[in-house]
Amino acid sequence: MEDIKDDAIHHTAMKLAEEIKNLSIYKSFYSDVQKLVSSPNVKKEDFKQTLQQAMKEKGLDTKLRNTVFHWVRTQNKNKLDPLTSLSKASAQWEKRIHKSLNSMCSDLETSLAKIRPQTEHEELAEKWNELSTYSLDLSKYRPVYAPKDFLDVLLTLSGYVPFTREDEPKWEFAHLPLQVKNLDQLRKTYVEWANGEPLLGVNPNMPSIVQGFATLEAERIALGERVAALGYAPVIQEYLKKGSPQCLRARLWSQVLGAEVKQQQTNYFNQLKKSVLEVDLMIDKLIFKDVQLTASNDDQYFVFEDLLYQVMLCFSRDSEVLSAVRSLAGAALTVAVKGRHGPDCLTAFPPSGVIPFHGFTMYATPFCYLYDEPVQLYYIFRAFYMRYWHRLHYISTHPQGIVSLCLLYERLLEANEPLLWIHFRNINVNPIRVVFKWLMRAFSGHLPPDQLLLLWDAILGYDCLEILPLLAISILSFRKENIFQVNTLQNVDAVLADLSTISVIPLLQLALMKP
Amino acid sequence: MNTESKKMATSIYGRVNAPVERCRVNFCTDMEKSVLMSNFERRGWHQVGPDDEWNFYWASTQTCRNLFSVESGYRMNDNQIINHFPNHYELSRKDLLVKNIKRYRKELERDGSPLAEKAEVVLHGGQVVTRYVHLDFIPVTFVLPADYNMFVEEYRKSPQSTWIMKPCGKSQGTGIFLINKLSKLKKWSREAKAPFHPQLSKESYVISRYIDNPLLIGGKKFDLRLYVLVTSFRPLKAYLFQLGFCRFCTVKYDTSVTELDNMYVHLTNVSVQKHGGDYNNIHGGKMSVQNLRLFLEGTRGRAVTEKLFASIQWLIVHSLKAVSSVMANDRHCFECYGYDIIIDNQLKPWLVEVNASPSLTSTTVNDRIMKYKLIDNILTAVLPPDGIPDVRWNKVPNSEALGNFDLLIDEDLMEKEESANATGKGSKNKK
Repeated sequence: MEDIKDDAIHHTAMKLAEEIKNLSIYKSFYSDVQKLVSSPNVKKEDFKQTLQQAMKEKGLDTKLRNTVFHWVRTQNKNKLDPLTSLSKASAQWEKRIHKSLNSMCSDLETSLAKIRPQTEHEELAEKWNELSTYSLDLSKYRPVYAPKDFLDVLLTLSGYVPFTREDEPKWEFAHLPLQVKNLDQLRKTYVEWANGEPLLGVNPNMPSIVQGFATLEAERIALGERVAALGYAPVIQEYLKKGSPQCLRARLWSQVLGAEVKQQQTNYFNQLKKSVLEVDLMIDKLIFKDVQLTASNDDQYFVFEDLLYQVMLCFSRDSEVLSAVRSLAGAALTVAVKGRHGPDCLTAFPPSGVIPFHGFTMYATPFCYLYDEPVQLYYIFRAFYMRYWHRLHYISTHPQGIVSLCLLYERLLEANEPLLWIHFRNINVNPIRVVFKWLMRAFSGHLPPDQLLLLWDAILGYDCLEILPLLAISILSFRKENIFQVNTLQNVDAVLADLSTISVIPLLQLALMKP
Repeated sequence: MNTESKKMATSIYGRVNAPVERCRVNFCTDMEKSVLMSNFERRGWHQVGPDDEWNFYWASTQTCRNLFSVESGYRMNDNQIINHFPNHYELSRKDLLVKNIKRYRKELERDGSPLAEKAEVVLHGGQVVTRYVHLDFIPVTFVLPADYNMFVEEYRKSPQSTWIMKPCGKSQGTGIFLINKLSKLKKWSREAKAPFHPQLSKESYVISRYIDNPLLIGGKKFDLRLYVLVTSFRPLKAYLFQLGFCRFCTVKYDTSVTELDNMYVHLTNVSVQKHGGDYNNIHGGKMSVQNLRLFLEGTRGRAVTEKLFASIQWLIVHSLKAVSSVMANDRHCFECYGYDIIIDNQLKPWLVEVNASPSLTSTTVNDRIMKYKLIDNILTAVLPPDGIPDVRWNKVPNSEALGNFDLLIDEDLMEKEESANATGKGSKNKK
């Protein structure tokens, strides 16, 4: 029995070792280990023991553990979408976007991809740090689609039900054969919250239950510093469940996502920058337009406008994004770069495969409160995108995907706020309409940054997005008296427009704690 | 728990304000700003003319000075309060502020106060100068033409630094320019005395060392506008409004000589920035102080951020102490000051100037919400709990009434606490 178990472990270890060899960190890691082996700390007589010890001391042990942790998390478990109707819809939607891009191009008499003329190249390079002064005529460019358009597509998904009864709303996601959690199951996921454990974001001056600390905040900071120094990703993830103090957040977030910036990352970022300067993609204008429409007009983010142009432009050129989310994105467009010849004249359009919608920049803006270097900002945004955000704007049956989140919202509302549910039916407003933009943007741009960062702590800590529909329900429930008094979509929107007074954590904990 | 429950309570009502008890207060004002009028209206106050029986006067500084002047002979009764101190200019005029702070430091030094400790510091350019350790919160400043020789002496110590010239009596960035050569100043003074500019020759200017290493966010320069409410100078009672904001320049900060005359780079005044091509009407170049704190804590860490905000409070308290002895401490008066502060890239705050009548015009939606709250909080804080102006009240608002104001200093309370502590200790010793 033991033998079989040993064999299995050995087999897994071999497989992992093979995988690690393919990772970008392998080379530097291997040479670090080699250096260690030749140091006097490692003895030939007791090789295994002393090497392990030395690796621990040098922090290589943690590095190896984190590498395995991050590798495991990137392994895509779901293969093909089990619901063919959904994958069909997804492919059709992609096609529509591509078509609309193409027609925009022909209307504007431009091409999807072309070599940037030398003068333009130089101007862009010169103004790289203040792209807000790079003058472009964007008056004719429109965002390809907005959350509302995407929602309309999602709402057609349940359209395959041939006959619904007269008195049954025709818009429910409930017709989709997908499993989502109920409130009790969510309580089991967010067990610390459901148990009423003290969380940051409720009241930082709450007295600490740990001896030696005056306040909860002081306790969390002291613990957080130790966790950050240890640098072990699973421990950090655990820590984030109860919220991070703002002063440690930048560090903890990059650690938990393995998004730390080293020379290699900086080089790669510079390469992306180079390809922005060299090739003019039509999508660049859409990116400029989106930053202008969102961040530049927002009193919480306008200051960071110039950083965001850099980050979003580079992101569009990142082919690693495409390979990470390919299973969802389907095939990207392939276009020829006008003015370029030879074998590399074809490019995926855009190389990242991601075509921004109205408000896409909002996935990156909150990080500006944590990182002021564009490279750091870039890698944390990219990591968040590849782990979470892409699920919010692609159609899939993934339990963290937007369809499941919409369904979860619907079920929670029906089960836990039946009066609201009935009210929505009576006034003939689809309840998903009033919260969809929150879900699709993970509340970015809707909540003040301090509250948003606390919410995103919970996404990282529990490694799931179900907190988003739960928060949407909690806000609705909190404002329900006002909602009951209005009877049009417009007025419900007005009741929910200003979230600046919402305290996210107490509201969520209240919803999760048993009555 | 208290602030949180308060927050919850305000959000339950959303934007709808809780009704305030109606009481008979007659108000008078000579500036019909909407944030003022809507506050008076919501409280159910009744508007009257300046010659009627008013209880509450929101006046411009000029009107207030006239009212207090000997000629007017107006005497206020116990149920009348007004929003300025008669000689607020001791704080709000640039030259007098500098004079008062210099005097305050000298007095402390003479008394051998530890606050007046001095030490040598190394400037940017490498020169070593002697500065106050705790009270070095205004840039080196001289009044022109009076202190011209002293200025030249200081100028020679670091000839490469830039200086900023401001007319003493003007506001909103008018008449301000930068100087990096003595010859430019001489040229200016010749022109100013020219016969076709007689009005200029009368005017005095302050010249200050220009903070040429401001903290930049997103590459842009900004300053802070904070609101400070003073309800008494002797004993000093002052409160800081939490919802201040940062005002950003619309263009990237650039110290090159060619940009020296580009005021969009250097001046953060909204009245200046508004005319820049890049002015945005939605946010108006304004970011909240809470978000500044969030950004600094996230990118620079907690300790330095706490220290910065503590030094800002320190700076405000000592600027007020510097004028408290010369202020006419009329019981009928309270005043809300607009403090302009610049933070340098070492996260040290510098007091630039104090306005006695900060703008109540709203440039954006958020601005309007914030200024409405400011006026609402001021009114609640300066009125006794029953809501009727009364100068016999001890001017100790309870924590509820402070709203978004934080207590900066209340010498009355401090004294009481001290004596309570002293007797407390005394009784312990007896045991």
